[in-house]
Amino acid sequence: MSACPLAAPDADTMLAAALARDVDRAFEDVVITYRSQVVTFVARMLRDDARAEDVAQDVFVRAHRALHGYSAERRAGLRLRSWLLAIAHNLTRNAVRDAPPPSDPLDYDDGAPRSAIADMTAGPDDVLLRAESWRSIGDAVARLTPALRGAFVMRYVDDLSYDEIAETLGQPVGTVKASAHRGLLAVRAQLERSDV
Amino acid sequence: MSESNLRDYRDATQRSVSPSFTTGVFAAIGVDRYTICPSAIGEVFVAWSAPGVSAVRLAGDEETFEAWYAERFGRRTVPAVEDDPISTAARAKLQGHDVAVPIDLRECSPFEQRVLHTAAEIAPGNARPYRWLAREIGAPDATRAVGNALGRNPVPLLIPCHRVIRTDCSVGGYVFGSDTKRALLERELDFGAVEHVVNQGFRYVACDKGYFCLPTCGDIATRVDTTGYFGLRSVEEAHAHHLTPCGICRPIAA
Repeated sequence: MSACPLAAPDADTMLAAALARDVDRAFEDVVITYRSQVVTFVARMLRDDARAEDVAQDVFVRAHRALHGYSAERRAGLRLRSWLLAIAHNLTRNAVRDAPPPSDPLDYDDGAPRSAIADMTAGPDDVLLRAESWRSIGDAVARLTPALRGAFVMRYVDDLSYDEIAETLGQPVGTVKASAHRGLLAVRAQLERSDV
Repeated sequence: MSESNLRDYRDATQRSVSPSFTTGVFAAIGVDRYTICPSAIGEVFVAWSAPGVSAVRLAGDEETFEAWYAERFGRRTVPAVEDDPISTAARAKLQGHDVAVPIDLRECSPFEQRVLHTAAEIAPGNARPYRWLAREIGAPDATRAVGNALGRNPVPLLIPCHRVIRTDCSVGGYVFGSDTKRALLERELDFGAVEHVVNQGFRYVACDKGYFCLPTCGDIATRVDTTGYFGLRSVEEAHAHHLTPCGICRPIAA
């Protein structure tokens, strides 16, 4: 279970309804509800605590600007969590591109046909659970390509559903499942190489 | 290892958010926030943004306050959900605690800022004349402009413009009314003793340590007619007693 409980869906609906009435008046509630989750997501993606807060603030600033451009109807229908994480994902993907990790990025691909990938609904396997320390997972996550990193973190760290991740990334559910699973395999391979 | 290291990773990389995070976001989007704080004159609206507190006004109708704020500052202010370090400091100061509160005077002219910064240095238990403040900022002929600048003080109570009074120690104008100004002064110093001294025609008070003060310098008015303390009608009279001006209230120009 995450240390940062995810907002209940009805809270999201109420926030979206408040945003539909008045963006500025409702916006602090949006920030309070999602700031910890956004900062944490950004920090995991960038693996840079010092920059995480600045980037996360930028996420909310861009969100606010976008909200003012939306109709009340569109604001009322927003699924805020995945919408904010999508902005965060885009910003961090650019930031990751600007500052690549020190070693070769990982993108596990053994050439096996995608149909051969095992049960994608399974949780992280024993290698992950037996990793020497969380730091070794952090090292492996940091080496994932941005596309896999986002899907892996959302699925296996933040426990988002595939539907939500698909909405966040603007990709089909099948693509998202494949990315998250490839991320998992790559992290596992890295941990095995580290002789865990 | 039985416990999931993925969970350890999740917990270890969980980030806390700094107390100024939300204020930073609101500064960037150009929207200020306000809250209600108890104070010596009742509940007040306190509006603030990243640089500091921008406005203090008597609490009342929210729409009226928000319209006044937008008109004066050219920015929107909305009710705050949470306190941050700035509003927490303002809340403490308005309840009488001696804490530093960042103030946002960007909207004021440079002249107004000089007046307000100087007024901010007048300690509790003291009062100073408008003319004194004009002299202190190097504009001795601008007494009326000083009064106007104090009248536009966006953060009364936090910048204590109520401590600036007329030379004859009558209280003068105030954004919350002269009666409120007098009530505030009476909470902070023995204003009756000051008036008693002034009504006898004294402009200064001699102190037993060899200097002379304004009657509103701390509690000196309450000591008149005790050993070493007596009223003075003029600077010449002070000089005749070989007294020097007090370095705190600076009763005459250097």
